[in-house]
Amino acid sequence: MLVMRRRAGESILIGEDIEIQIIHIGESRIKIGITAPKSVAVSMKEVKLVGQENLAAAQLRSMAALRNMLDRLIEGPAGDEK
Amino acid sequence: MVFPDGIPAFEQEKRFLAVRQPISEPLVFLQSLANPNVCFATLPAPSVCPGYQLNIASDDLETLGLEKGRQPSIGDDVLCLAILSLTENAPPTVNLLAPIVVNVRTLRGCQAIQPDSSYSHREVLPVREAPCS
Repeated sequence: MLVMRRRAGESILIGEDIEIQIIHIGESRIKIGITAPKSVAVSMKEVKLVGQENLAAAQLRSMAALRNMLDRLIEGPAGDEK
Repeated sequence: MVFPDGIPAFEQEKRFLAVRQPISEPLVFLQSLANPNVCFATLPAPSVCPGYQLNIASDDLETLGLEKGRQPSIGDDVLCLAILSLTENAPPTVNLLAPIVVNVRTLRGCQAIQPDSSYSHREVLPVREAPCS
C-alpha cells in the first residue's frame, strides 16, 4: 500500500481524472472530497461488505438450516451444545 | 414497504413485504414484491441484542423521512430488523452493523449502514438466548 502524508486542503491525484482532497481533519474523523468520472463508483467500503452479506443472506436455499436454527432459538439447544 | 434506494446489492428491489408467521416466530421474512426469489430472513434487532442502539446517518434519516436531529426510537418510530445469514458449517450471524430500518408511519425503509457503531455485519447469533413463547 502506498502511504502519503497530506494536510488539510491538500490533494492526491489518481490517474488523470480522480482527485482526492483532504477537506477537514477532525479529532476522530476526516472529511474527504472525491472528484471522479461518473463511470467510477465511489462508495464507503461498508456498502460493499453489506452488499456481499446481503447476497449471501438472500440464498435461503438451506431451509433445513433455518429450521434447525429456529428450533434452537425457540426451544433452546437440545443436547447439542456446540 | 418502500425502499427508495433498494438495499446494497439489491438496488432494484424497491418494494418489500414483511411476513411473520406463528410457525417461524420471531423471524420476520422480507419478501421482494418484484422478485419472488429475493427473500431475507430477519430478526428484530432488539431481540438479538437487548438495548440495541441506532446510529443512523443523516442521509438515511432523510430517506426514511425522519427528523435529522435525533435518533428514532425502535418500536415507536421505526421497525429495526437485522438480516440473518446462514452459512454451511458456521454459526448463524446477523447484520447489526446495517439493520433494515422502516419508518412505521410512512413504511419507507432503507438499510442503514452505521460506520460509527460498534456492531459487526456478522454478529454471531446468540441462539441460546431463547425468548419464551
